[in-house]
Amino acid sequence: MSMYIDPHIHLVSRTTDDYEAMQKAGIVATIEPAFWLGQPRTEVGSFKDYFSTLVGWERFRASQFGIVHYCTMGLNSKEANNIALAEQVMELLPLYVGKEGVVAIGEIGYDDQTEAEDRFYREQLELAKEVDLPVLIHTPHRDKKKGTYRSMDVAEEHGMDPGWIIVDHNNEETVKEVLDRGYWAGFTIYPHTKMGSERMVEIVKQYGPERIIVNSAADWGISDPLAVPKTADLMRKMGIPEEHVQMVTYRNALTAFSLSGQMDENDWLQAPPIDQTKKLSGNSVLRGGQVPRVEGPADRVEN
Amino acid sequence: MLWLLQKSEKIQSTGSQTAFFLAFSQASRFFDKGMLVLDETEKKEAHQLVEGYEPEFWNVLQTARTYLLLSFPQEKEAWFAAVNQLFETADMHEHQALFAALPLMPFQEDLIDRAIDGCRTNVALIFDAIALNNPYPAKYFPEANWNQMVLKAVFMQRPLYRIQSQDARSNPALAEIARDFAHERWAAGRNVMPELWRLVSPFLNEKYLQDLQKVMSSKDELELAGGALALFNGPSGTGKTVLGKFPTLVSQIESGTITWETVGKEYQKTRV
Repeated sequence: MSMYIDPHIHLVSRTTDDYEAMQKAGIVATIEPAFWLGQPRTEVGSFKDYFSTLVGWERFRASQFGIVHYCTMGLNSKEANNIALAEQVMELLPLYVGKEGVVAIGEIGYDDQTEAEDRFYREQLELAKEVDLPVLIHTPHRDKKKGTYRSMDVAEEHGMDPGWIIVDHNNEETVKEVLDRGYWAGFTIYPHTKMGSERMVEIVKQYGPERIIVNSAADWGISDPLAVPKTADLMRKMGIPEEHVQMVTYRNALTAFSLSGQMDENDWLQAPPIDQTKKLSGNSVLRGGQVPRVEGPADRVEN
Repeated sequence: MLWLLQKSEKIQSTGSQTAFFLAFSQASRFFDKGMLVLDETEKKEAHQLVEGYEPEFWNVLQTARTYLLLSFPQEKEAWFAAVNQLFETADMHEHQALFAALPLMPFQEDLIDRAIDGCRTNVALIFDAIALNNPYPAKYFPEANWNQMVLKAVFMQRPLYRIQSQDARSNPALAEIARDFAHERWAAGRNVMPELWRLVSPFLNEKYLQDLQKVMSSKDELELAGGALALFNGPSGTGKTVLGKFPTLVSQIESGTITWETVGKEYQKTRV
């Protein structure tokens, strides 16, 4: 079976059914970018606990379903607009960016493209340089093209290497410029809106598989945690070569985010088999009486 | 190793929180999670240093992190400011290092609430760091919290034989809770882990003997061994009549082929 990486998914919002379906569909690793929660936080402590969840409980939860969980750390652009709070979050970030499995600073960038957003975007670019991490850029949904170009202009102004930056949520209007300037181009597949799988197929046909990365960005909104494997299937059906499919749904994400030194294919290829018996049975993912899943290594990895 | 010594020296001489936090996190880039390999002399030395300290159950990464932690100047207010922050922002493996290091930390009496709170985790790795091979709970936990910890270990089917000083901390309330738990499991048609009867053993009375009689009617070897150990080690005389029918088990217990440790180890093997 093919292996997939979903390099942008907000798993704290997803159910155990999702995790099971993802694992069955071949997703071996996920990256959860720090983002907002659908409504603004009002206390720095909420950020602290959220960041701790990303490196703690959610990672543990994913592992119980045989999925390796990584994350990115950052102050998102929406909440950058609460300056007093944002300053406190900036003080918190150094505690998290060096942790195991933190593969980038992100998702950062612009939302309304305000002055405050600009300030904290720049500060976080500097933080990324300081700790040698790649950057995951969230591009704005409104005034997208200008916002995307501006994100890249500012990154270059700060001396960032485009090869260390993943510009996310691209569309047909932004992709050419992003690729031409040497950045990784992320594409989020949303059901109904924005970028659907069919449009993705056309983009890969037109631009080829180099530096293109597909993700689901599944969160608490209408979204599909199986967007990556589904898009891969559609690509195959539409005649895109297998090697290209693998690049945009697995290999490119691995290459980009493993620049962090925190992501390694062996994390899943050599992973211990899923063993839910090792976990809590009383009050955790498994409830009393459920039969735990135990698999031998042969069930886990098929190349 | 050089990295560790340099960081330790820096943390010690400057008392810088930032340097401490960064090194504590980034230790994972320099040390892996392979288990420490210690010879008998080294194990003994560790035990002499701190009673109940069992680094043979530690991995290399947590050892390095503990070394960094112990390098931070132990001035109470600043120490707690830093260490509280570490606890509150720790990832799984950092939590593992912190909780396992409790018996090596300064100001241990002031860390009781922290340790009790740690037991509320749902992550087995973190729970184990507190409950197993760690002298801290037996030394400091009030009875109610001790009992909760042991019962949670039963729930999670952790190897009870690795909980330190459990015979010394046995108490009638825990025996009662353990019995209730066994009855719940039986009512649900499920098995009871054989090590559970160790909690009941010191307090054998008519009630417990009835339960153990039921255990001794099992066809499962480990359940029989657990039941027999509980009967054998109970207050003198109480278990004799029931045990009379199991001469082989008794002689295996007498010769040391069956102990709580062998039962616990065998039971853990059946779970994977």
